[in-house]
Amino acid sequence: MIAHQAEAVVLRTWPLHEADQIVSLFTRDQGKIKGVAKAAMKSRRRFGGALEPMTYVRASYAEKPKQELVRLDSCEILSSPLSHPVDYVRAAVLAFFSEVLEDTLPDHDPQETVFRLLLAVLEYTRVEQPWMPLTYFALWVTRLMGWLPDLSRCVFCSVPLTGAAAFFHSQANGLFCAQHKHGGYSQLSFDSHALALRVFRSPISALVTEPWPRNRAVDLRRFALRSLERNMERKLTTAAVLSRLGG
Amino acid sequence: MSRFAEPMSRLIEELKKLPGIGAKNAQRLAFHILRSSADDARALADAVRELKEKLRLCSICNNITDVDPCVYCASPTRNQRLVCVVEEPTNISSVEKTRSYNGVYHVLHGTLSPLHGVGPEDLRIGNLLLRVQASEVDEVILATNPTVEGEATAVYLADLLRSAQVKITRIATGVPAGSDIEYADEVTMARAMEGRHEV
Repeated sequence: MIAHQAEAVVLRTWPLHEADQIVSLFTRDQGKIKGVAKAAMKSRRRFGGALEPMTYVRASYAEKPKQELVRLDSCEILSSPLSHPVDYVRAAVLAFFSEVLEDTLPDHDPQETVFRLLLAVLEYTRVEQPWMPLTYFALWVTRLMGWLPDLSRCVFCSVPLTGAAAFFHSQANGLFCAQHKHGGYSQLSFDSHALALRVFRSPISALVTEPWPRNRAVDLRRFALRSLERNMERKLTTAAVLSRLGG
Repeated sequence: MSRFAEPMSRLIEELKKLPGIGAKNAQRLAFHILRSSADDARALADAVRELKEKLRLCSICNNITDVDPCVYCASPTRNQRLVCVVEEPTNISSVEKTRSYNGVYHVLHGTLSPLHGVGPEDLRIGNLLLRVQASEVDEVILATNPTVEGEATAVYLADLLRSAQVKITRIATGVPAGSDIEYADEVTMARAMEGRHEV
């Protein structure tokens, strides 16, 4: 039995037996792992509210050789989504982070950059400003997974797209110039295209001071979400909810 | 080919569908039923059948009941103008255990859950709005769980009800009675401090 202590973010939980839970954790050191939290639903002493999805915790767990599930012993909350007000949109954005990472991260494969990205967006996902962290996360996670080509050039002819119209399609990666777009392509506005390039050059803290109402960069969010869904090869439940909410 | 006779296999398969019942437990329960008297087995079958035939949702509060309206909504001694909104019918018994609440209930049958695709249209909100709009209610207590989904649901309902002339309150959260502050997590403790009151 090997004992571990690691920083982690709770991705999801599933009920197991009467009062146990299976917990999916995204740890900084070991990547995504799954473990059993015994009596987690009955006794609040060891876990309290720490197993709420998107809670940043210091997790203590024990690993047995040749066993897929670790034994989760305790979780100390470092930061909780419940420390700030929650509404339907913020809940949907947090659920989106959870759904994407649960599906895309391989087990036991550390992903330091994705971990840092998640902590950064969690810090800024607030009721007052949910759309910016959502867009930032969707674009960056697509890039970090290696699914996003250079957005400054047409993927077909490599002509620079700066200052020119850019187009995207739900079935194709990257952006296209006006010459290589076909039927069914959507235009990415100048503002949204410039914003996408800024997202990859700036830390999230640089964007947080800007007003980001629901209708800002809707096309960019749609482009990022469609890119994710295409590469994940499935429709995201939370993306559908966010679309209904205006995202 | 099954190891058991067909009726036994069928019962085991049905019992396995119950939450928390695995193959071994289902087998154990099925053999227990086989060994019990015919009267006991019939009583169990009748209880299951009656559960499905007689139980329905209260047309006022959505609680599970055998009479419509349910005992709470029909009670003349209860304050019908005070409504406690809960996620599931099982939550009612937790509030009733306090013996200090004398209002009625409204059961949502779930919470907003983006991860499971549960939106406002999937919750039973309509008859709550009707009650409030008909000015039949003075106060709505939002008693959803203090989780992200429960909080989101409470805020969503509060926004919906805000236009009506009704007092909207949220249940308090904090350190459980009889527990030790040492074991309270930061969120619970912060909320307990926020919700402090003068003594």
